[in-house]
Amino acid sequence: MPEVLRVLAPLVVALLGTLLVAVLGSLRPRVAAPLAVASAAMALVAALAMPAGASVDLSWAPTWGLRLSFAADGLARLYALLATGIGLAVLVYAAGYMPRHLAHAGHGPERAVRLYSLILLFMTAMLGLVLAQDLVLLIVFWDLTAITSYFLIGYEQEEEESRQAALTALLVTGISAILLILAGVILFVHHGTASIPAILARSEAGPIATASGVLIAVAALAKSAQVPLHFWLPRAMVAPTPVSAYLHSAAMVAAGVFLLGRVHPLIALSPPLRDGLVVVGFASMAVGGGLALAQVVLKRLLAYSTVAQYGYVVVLLGLGEVAGAAFYILAHALVKSALFMAAGAVTEATGQEQLDRLGGLGRALPGLAVGSGLAAAGLAGLPLTAGFFKDEVFFAGAAARGGPIPILAVAGAALTFAYTWRFWAGIFLGARRGTVQPLPLALTAPVLLLGLLVALGGIVPAVGARLAAAAGESMALEATPLALAYHLDRHAPNLMAVTTWALGMVAIVTAARWARVPRAIAAIGERYGPDRSMLVAIDTLTRFSRRLRAFEVQSLQRRIATILVSAAILVGATIVLAPPWPTFTLGDLPASDWPLVLFLVLAALAGLLATRSAGRATLVLALSAVGYSLAAVFTFIGAPDVALVAVLIETMMTVLLLGVLSLVPRDVAEPPSEPEPRDRYRSRAVGFVAAAFAFVVSWSALSWSAPDATMASAHIDLAPAAHADDVVTAILADFRGLDTLGEITVIAIALLGVLTFFVSEKST
Amino acid sequence: MRLSTIMTEMVARVILLPTLVTALALLVKGYTSAGDGFSAGVVAGTVVAIQFIVFGPREPIARFPSPRHAPLLAFGGVLLALAVAFAPLLWGDPVLTQYPRPGEPVVHIGALAFHTALLFDVAVFLLVFGFIISVLGGIGSFERHSQGGES
Repeated sequence: MPEVLRVLAPLVVALLGTLLVAVLGSLRPRVAAPLAVASAAMALVAALAMPAGASVDLSWAPTWGLRLSFAADGLARLYALLATGIGLAVLVYAAGYMPRHLAHAGHGPERAVRLYSLILLFMTAMLGLVLAQDLVLLIVFWDLTAITSYFLIGYEQEEEESRQAALTALLVTGISAILLILAGVILFVHHGTASIPAILARSEAGPIATASGVLIAVAALAKSAQVPLHFWLPRAMVAPTPVSAYLHSAAMVAAGVFLLGRVHPLIALSPPLRDGLVVVGFASMAVGGGLALAQVVLKRLLAYSTVAQYGYVVVLLGLGEVAGAAFYILAHALVKSALFMAAGAVTEATGQEQLDRLGGLGRALPGLAVGSGLAAAGLAGLPLTAGFFKDEVFFAGAAARGGPIPILAVAGAALTFAYTWRFWAGIFLGARRGTVQPLPLALTAPVLLLGLLVALGGIVPAVGARLAAAAGESMALEATPLALAYHLDRHAPNLMAVTTWALGMVAIVTAARWARVPRAIAAIGERYGPDRSMLVAIDTLTRFSRRLRAFEVQSLQRRIATILVSAAILVGATIVLAPPWPTFTLGDLPASDWPLVLFLVLAALAGLLATRSAGRATLVLALSAVGYSLAAVFTFIGAPDVALVAVLIETMMTVLLLGVLSLVPRDVAEPPSEPEPRDRYRSRAVGFVAAAFAFVVSWSALSWSAPDATMASAHIDLAPAAHADDVVTAILADFRGLDTLGEITVIAIALLGVLTFFVSEKST
Repeated sequence: MRLSTIMTEMVARVILLPTLVTALALLVKGYTSAGDGFSAGVVAGTVVAIQFIVFGPREPIARFPSPRHAPLLAFGGVLLALAVAFAPLLWGDPVLTQYPRPGEPVVHIGALAFHTALLFDVAVFLLVFGFIISVLGGIGSFERHSQGGES
């Protein structure tokens, strides 16, 4: 198999799976789930088979330096394994979960097809993101994850809450993605390349590196739901459970810290930025952990836990412990996906989603209890699970930095310990509450399997450590060995771990005394937190836009005035900021130009006639006379192609306007009686201002000697090589073909809008 | 207020075919003289618009293939343009490479020269023509709809 295919195989398989599931699934809903699972399984195999270090580099628009550049480095391999592996588990789970879940809501199973297809699309986007070695590709896939997550979070489109949550997620991650684009532009302009390895190699400490690093970090932190942009994540838990499980472990949220890892050398250049990451990470640990203690809804608790857990990773990245961060992401992905699926399965079995209505389910759901128990032990960092080592690398990094960091680390981990216990024990221990329905194997098996993997990762940590070390190496661009083993001695991480457990147990035992505190904090946060400020901001913007629209649509005059006056303001601003005064010149007027002047005068006369015309048909004809006269001007200055287009457009407009008039009843077609004098004066004032600005700007523009004359002559010289006698057509179809492509795409989108309008008008 | 008299109906009938031929000429001769896919699309679209205006929306729909399929024409044009643009990637050339390359001979059949740029122009034509027909068809069906409510 050629190397191109071996690197891109997971991506291609996932994409084909997306399309196949969407197409075949819409024909036969029953095949969708097996097909989706098979695609994910094949993508996992392809991800496992990716050769380490292999890369693909195709140039697809060389003049712009755009390349399709992908590489299977350590970081990409780790994330590709997570995206496909967890994706497979999630899809198996979804195949069991979705039909039941939909049946509760009174929907048929065919609605699940879209979900399977979207999860595969999400997988595709993640794979593209982690394999990309080019800024443009990275940004494209980054946005694709945001868009896909919008559809997944808003999957239950009839629910207001679900739509709101999807929009919040899209706004927070989409607006912050603009910062990433900005950083991309800065880096591209400064380094002259979009290749990420080249940029990282050329970066030096300085304002450019700091500015782009900060921009990228904000985008990444918003995606990873870090304080204070964390609020979209707990809301997003309205999505069906398989979606949450995927978003929180291996996809959306993981993409943020992935990006921080991908550009780690750039971020490492700026010590204040790294310290900022540590601060944000600890803040997220505090907020996420504290609020997780206050939640009663299972999935919401887990969502805040995700905020806190990625806080750990951000702290590790800020401390420069890249291999540790990679291991943490790996362990957390297994743990969190298992816990989410367990929460969904419990809700499915009992119909309850709140901790205070659940309890004592351990005997009734033994498989789920064991699987999620192993995962919970991993989250709490107990020995013999992969989670022990995720805490060990965290404690080791914190201890190496010293100062207050180790204390904060222990406090944060103790919070994790406490809320994890609250979650697991609240469901499976204590007095039995709620009735239990039997669960299909597809809901239990993925949880059990992931739980066993968590345990296996604690017994044989070398496999995960090797993956993480390779990922760390491609983040830091130097070897980052990671050796994980149990040491039965008193080195700092062990002491910190023991302290954590002790503190956590104290917290659990004394829970009844302080349980009100986090709830009070959560209530304050809901009232004054960033979630609220964003709602207020959106509300204000919406009201402003409504008021502007209400003003604009009142009458045609106001609408035209809005357009003309704002154009005049823009033009006026440029005139004030960059006065063109010295450039106004009056050229001479040779006799050969007299016909031209004649047609210009004709156009002016027709324009005057249009303002005085009595009937609407006269108005149309007068306006087209203006257009034809101007077209004639183009023929005189030797631009037959432009003249042709001008004539054609003018004809089209005239025919269309007359056609529209023929549809309008006669009594409406005649202009109304004399307008109010005040309206008339206002119209005249607006018209005069707009015309004056247009005049000034045209004069100024015409006073310049044509600056792109060299470009034009270059095009004319090139035309024979393109086998063209008509240079205008050659420019449109060949030299600037990409522009034309963009333009026709815009027209196609406009057509979509028009057609939608007709369809919706007809149906009302 | 229909602009339909014997005069206009006759003119509309007579100009239909010659205008479409003119549009075709503008399209295929774009590389040697004035005109291109866009102009051809507008010319062809205008003459169809005249049919709609003169005969009302009903008759053209009976005489031509239904404008319901016009969006397919337009989006087919976009797909064709994208195909022409990205096909060169398959054999390793950059996007939007046009063939024959400079210096290579051009295949002629009569006065007609074959370029891939011509295909690109055909795509633009399809889009513009399809766009105009779609919009006309939309307005027409809209009007029939509202008239159907009255009668």
